[in-house]
Amino acid sequence: MLVSCGKTSKIRLALNWKPDPEFGGFYAADYKKHGLDVDILPGGAGTPTVQMVGAGSTEFGIVSGDEILLARSKGNDVVAVFASFQQNPVAIMAHASRNLASIGDVVKDGTLAIQSGLPYARILKQKYGFDRVKIVPSPAGDIGPFLSDEKFAQQCFLTAEPLAARRKGAKVKVFPVADLGYNPYAQVMATSGDTLRKQPEIVKAMGAAVQEGWRAYLDNPLPTNERMHALNPSMDMDTFNEIAEAQKPLIEAAKLGSMTKERWEALAQQLKELGDIPQMPPVEECYRAI
Amino acid sequence: MFKKVLPALIPFVAVTLVIETLVRFGLVKAYLLPPPSAVFLVIVHDWRELLSALGKTSAGALTGFILSTVFGISIAVFLSSSRAIQRAFFPYAVFFQTVPIVAIAPLLVIWFGYGLQTVIASAFIVSIFPVIANTLNGILSTDPALRDLFQLYGASTWVTLFKLRFPAALPQILTGLRVSAGLAVIGAIVGEFIGGQGLGSVVDIARTQQRTDKVFAAVLLASVLGLGLFGLINLISALTLRHWHSSERS
Repeated sequence: MLVSCGKTSKIRLALNWKPDPEFGGFYAADYKKHGLDVDILPGGAGTPTVQMVGAGSTEFGIVSGDEILLARSKGNDVVAVFASFQQNPVAIMAHASRNLASIGDVVKDGTLAIQSGLPYARILKQKYGFDRVKIVPSPAGDIGPFLSDEKFAQQCFLTAEPLAARRKGAKVKVFPVADLGYNPYAQVMATSGDTLRKQPEIVKAMGAAVQEGWRAYLDNPLPTNERMHALNPSMDMDTFNEIAEAQKPLIEAAKLGSMTKERWEALAQQLKELGDIPQMPPVEECYRAI
Repeated sequence: MFKKVLPALIPFVAVTLVIETLVRFGLVKAYLLPPPSAVFLVIVHDWRELLSALGKTSAGALTGFILSTVFGISIAVFLSSSRAIQRAFFPYAVFFQTVPIVAIAPLLVIWFGYGLQTVIASAFIVSIFPVIANTLNGILSTDPALRDLFQLYGASTWVTLFKLRFPAALPQILTGLRVSAGLAVIGAIVGEFIGGQGLGSVVDIARTQQRTDKVFAAVLLASVLGLGLFGLINLISALTLRHWHSSERS
């Protein structure tokens, strides 16, 4: 927990999933150039990055925008410093054969696999009701149940599972969760308020390194994909390259990494309406623009 | 009765007080380790939801455990019938002990569908091995002098099994069941992470909402279930062994 000052100390960046294109910019970044020695720690389903950042067991972590507001409401002082995905990459995919027209149709029948604790899931429930659909846990990237059942729809990453399903010959229709009006920043790099106060220069250097990293990754993902593929061989190179291409619009929708007060306020408002946070927080405290 | 329960309550109260104090004085953050009072309030506030989840988890764990008991003992009896059979099949029984349930749980969903069957299958897979291993060991370690005596009187294999080997193995069988009961609860909850419903589902949802207090409330109820199963086996043990086995004679 004690980080000595200076350029020699190791900085940890905890991911909430295995190395894949959604973290491309973080792997592409040239941290040394900014005087940083960074250790990227891959994670898995349920890696509690937001608690790790708050507890100081990592200096930086990848979280989602809603996690930040939720954590802050519980006294966990974490601050967003770089928003990789300007558009929410979470979506629901269904079989095209069902001829569904909008995201509300996925709850009309069949089975829906989602993380029902997530805010968007409860917005979906409030808007359309879950009485005609069977809700089951999200299989976290596994598309086995989806392929074996035409009436099965599941939570996914816009850029990941639909691609995998199409490769297996399935015809897929994808509904972005942003269609519900729920659009938090995603793959957000967060740090603790403590780090921000005590080592603002490190936070600044990280932000700059990561911004350049994403620029480099968007321009030419190939070398970074090769490095990430070596760390995560279960995803083949074609998939790496296709996802890197498909996610571009979600990342480039605004200035790389930037965040606005309006977006944070809109998110806080939604979470307050859901009862996830007790009151509107001072949103300017939850993010620090680079 | 009170005298029996009191020693177990002392550590519980002490640990609870220590954690509560640590959190109250800010030495440990509440979002990392919830204060026991917050966990208690969750149980009071969400008791309907938690009780219904506990009921579902109990059904899954208990059914899986009963299946493990029945199949585990049967398999052990079969394995004990000859050295050759044991050599041929016992290594496959070890498979159940080493199977990483988290890895195959998604497949269980495809085989058995979402819901109770997957939970039962998961509880069964992780809890059968201790029953097989302990029962087999018990049956095989019958006193050779008594076995010779049965043979001398011309007792059939079945009579020897049911009148001698099986009763003699009972203490070991019960030890296997005690280990297996706790594993059945773990197996059920892992199954529920994937298959939905029950305490597993409560934990999963509370985790995504950063509700550590609710996670702990569910975990607490799961351990109550484990204790209940453990107590049940102790009761069976006391009833069956009290007349002859030193472990149940006070």
